[in-house]
Amino acid sequence: MRWLKSVLNRTHFLFHKDAVEKELDEELRVHLENAIAERVSNGMNPAEARREALLELGGVEQIKEECREAHGVSRIETVLADLRFGLRTLRKSPGFTIVSVLTLALGIGANTAIFSMVNALLLHPYNFRNLDALVRVWENRGMDEGFDARYIAPADAEDLRAANGVFEGLTTYNMQSFGLGAEGDVQPILGSRVSANFFDVLAVNPAAGRLFSVVEEQPGADQVAILSYGAWQRRFGGDAQMLGKTISLNGRAYTIVGIMPKDFDYPVPVELWVPLALTPAEKADRTQLSLSALARLKPGVSAAQAGAVLSSFSRRLEREYPKTNAGRATTLLQLRKELYMFTLPLFLLLQAAAGFVLLLACANLANLAFARMIGRQREIALRAALGAGRARLGQLFISETLLYSSAAGVVAMLASFASVRALRTSIPAGWTKWVPGWDGIRVDGNVLAFTILAALGVGLFLGLAVMLHTSRVEPNKTLKETGMGAVTRTKRRVRNALVVAQVMFALILLVCAGLTIQGFVRLANVYQGFEPASVLRIEISLPQKLYTDNVKINSFYQQVLRGAASLSGVQHASLVTNPPASNVDSETTLFSIEGQPVVKASEEPSADLQIASADYFATLKISTIAGRMFSDADSAAGPRVVLISSAMASRFWPKGDALGHRIRLGGLDSTAPWLTVVGVAGDVRQNWWNPIARPVIYQPFAQAPQRSMTLLMRTSANPTSYVSAMRDVVRGIDPGIALRGVNTLEDEIADAIAIVRIMGILMGVFGLVALALSSIGVYGVLSESVAQRTHEIGIRLALGANPRDLLRLILGEALKLTGIGLLIAVPCAVAISRAMASLIFGVVTVDFAILSGFTALLIAVALGAAYVPARRAMRVDPVISLRYE
Amino acid sequence: MSKPTDLVQGTLDLLILKTIALEPTHGWAIAQRIRRVSGDVLQVNQGALYPALHRLELQGWITAEWGESENNRRARYYSLTKSGKKYLQSERANWERLSAAIGLVLKTA
Repeated sequence: MRWLKSVLNRTHFLFHKDAVEKELDEELRVHLENAIAERVSNGMNPAEARREALLELGGVEQIKEECREAHGVSRIETVLADLRFGLRTLRKSPGFTIVSVLTLALGIGANTAIFSMVNALLLHPYNFRNLDALVRVWENRGMDEGFDARYIAPADAEDLRAANGVFEGLTTYNMQSFGLGAEGDVQPILGSRVSANFFDVLAVNPAAGRLFSVVEEQPGADQVAILSYGAWQRRFGGDAQMLGKTISLNGRAYTIVGIMPKDFDYPVPVELWVPLALTPAEKADRTQLSLSALARLKPGVSAAQAGAVLSSFSRRLEREYPKTNAGRATTLLQLRKELYMFTLPLFLLLQAAAGFVLLLACANLANLAFARMIGRQREIALRAALGAGRARLGQLFISETLLYSSAAGVVAMLASFASVRALRTSIPAGWTKWVPGWDGIRVDGNVLAFTILAALGVGLFLGLAVMLHTSRVEPNKTLKETGMGAVTRTKRRVRNALVVAQVMFALILLVCAGLTIQGFVRLANVYQGFEPASVLRIEISLPQKLYTDNVKINSFYQQVLRGAASLSGVQHASLVTNPPASNVDSETTLFSIEGQPVVKASEEPSADLQIASADYFATLKISTIAGRMFSDADSAAGPRVVLISSAMASRFWPKGDALGHRIRLGGLDSTAPWLTVVGVAGDVRQNWWNPIARPVIYQPFAQAPQRSMTLLMRTSANPTSYVSAMRDVVRGIDPGIALRGVNTLEDEIADAIAIVRIMGILMGVFGLVALALSSIGVYGVLSESVAQRTHEIGIRLALGANPRDLLRLILGEALKLTGIGLLIAVPCAVAISRAMASLIFGVVTVDFAILSGFTALLIAVALGAAYVPARRAMRVDPVISLRYE
Repeated sequence: MSKPTDLVQGTLDLLILKTIALEPTHGWAIAQRIRRVSGDVLQVNQGALYPALHRLELQGWITAEWGESENNRRARYYSLTKSGKKYLQSERANWERLSAAIGLVLKTA
């Protein structure tokens, strides 16, 4: 507490300065009187006594100053004086002030905006109590299969729940889409089936009503549902009597028992939760990894410790159930980091780009400040001559630059409130519904602290830079000089170094921004191998209760296909399980190849499984590599056939002899029928995070019908104009069926890469800002350094120099500096772009066109920056330019 | 700036604290008492006395109050605070250890 007292004392002295001064005077006066009185009483005459007493005491003013220093009053006072002086200088040159504050505000603001995203999406994607203790748990089959493939077998999850010593709780769930409403007016709604302890593990309470009970995990007792706040508002108009009402989901009646709070929608973007009621057979299943699992670590247990426990757990399962569990490793990952594999590199890159923008702004400002310092040489020299030490001058400069940067910080902060809101709302909800934490992007305490730190850091940095720059002022020489003073060699060297650094920064940042933008453009082309234009997609899901067997499913979809094909302008209509750009990985399946037995379960080959109707390849214009595509002859009664993708053919039949071979789906002990490979289809890039084409097995729909399919229609006119006709067709077949996910394939692709596109837009903005800042910076530094040579140019012209040669000389020097900067920057840019290529999907290593384009641009800016002031200097009559000095 | 003082660095603080430990005292009297008690051996540099007093006050070891002096003049009286007393004790122990150690070295070495 002593420091607090000391601070209080100091501030007390600061605010009661006059009283303290008076006391000090009084105290010393009393002392002197005592000293004189003693001497007088000893017989000395009063005048002599006074003289001696004063001598004994020493310099009164000095003592006072030392007392003040003891209170630390003087230091605070000088800082205040410096700040006042700084404010006066700022007011005196409003142009400089506005330019520098805005430049810095731009740099700081860019960082604040990105940090607000990092803060929300990476640091606090979910608003759960003790988020760091929440982990996703899944079973891994030898490789990380991406975040959409992180599942666990129900029986394994049950064992883990019983055996574990590291989790406070473990819960399982999966996603399911439902048709909401009665026949004739069925709307699709995305829900999640969750274990009863789901909300307990996440530590959230309902805003109204109750959570699920364990009893409701039993099939038959499970017809209860909890609504999200959003669904309650949007779909039921915020009905106050909602609790206890029943709604129809897939034709079954569910009673609403609870409504969750406004900010809860895990797993995004579900709108309701129902109990996960597994039949005993489903519960005992170990073959299918069908559930997602979430767990909360016990207090004091780290993720690494839990990981070790899980790996011994999975070894035990491997021993006990070698048939199903061989090669499976139970794995965990903090929930917060679930999306890191996609978001971390993107955001780090964005933050880095924002950092570069700030650095560029700083470099520009440092240049401006140095230029001003040259004008203030005499003032500084005078201060130094009067005894101001280096530290004292540094304090002065830092107070000044802190003023700029704080002002810039305030501007950035004010702007960030608006810009962050704009950032959040300007992006369509469809783009961001899959991004957890997106709605949490706002300026909170963390973001404000970040802004303040950034502003102070920049101020200190600039102040120190200016201090170092002016530290070699020699008062003696400077004060003797008249007028502007010649540019000394050191000064010129510093200035040249600045030009080089500015060019360097500019090129590196421009290349980074350019590459990233180009990478994002390339991402949009990741969807290769098919024609997305003029295709309509509609998801259809049939209720299990009514569509009990393959015949019913088949007949429904055959009617849908016939109805779609009969609409005029529809060229092709087909079905597929997982269309491109769905943002969901395809179901993977194990399979074995006839005549190529594998012994160990972990070595079994796997592939994506797609079920497609005959016209699928024609609808998307997927090429035929070998053999034939499906036809109507591949019916339920026909011979069992499959198509495989080109990647699969080349992986498993490298000699190109895939046709005619037979494969069997499922694990080692599978008894599924053999399927003959009749054709090889071109590779289709499914999702943007999977740039590598995976092996795919296509089964004809008629031979493996599924209730949930996506209908694809290639049309000659605008695809959306067929939506209502299609709705009528489906209603005509079964009025209880809802059409979901209605969209054109092109828009779906745009939505799928939305987060990437947002990044691309931001990157583009940063790139433009960087381009402007670096051009201004390079121009400013170069033109200033040429303008300072007006005197020299005058002399050279007066002595008869050829203007053309002189111009060439000046341009040559500008080019030399720019060239040095570029020479340093190019290898850096190449190295950085290599690193980026390994981090970010879609970015390839350095692009010659980008590199040479920006290099040429910077050279052009440099030439302009040297040419304009040089021309101006040459037009001036030598006599005038000489006398002007 | 040179401060000619015969006192070992830091001992002025100790002497001041000890002097005012008996009763609240003003600056002039502190200097006088130190001189008298030490038999005119220790001469407190009066230029260093007041800054030292203000420093000690800032550190919270002493407090000051205005009062009447013996010859009916207003004077600033300094007295020890609680933490000042503790500080004096520990400093005094330190000093005794130090001077004993120096004495030992001088005697034997």
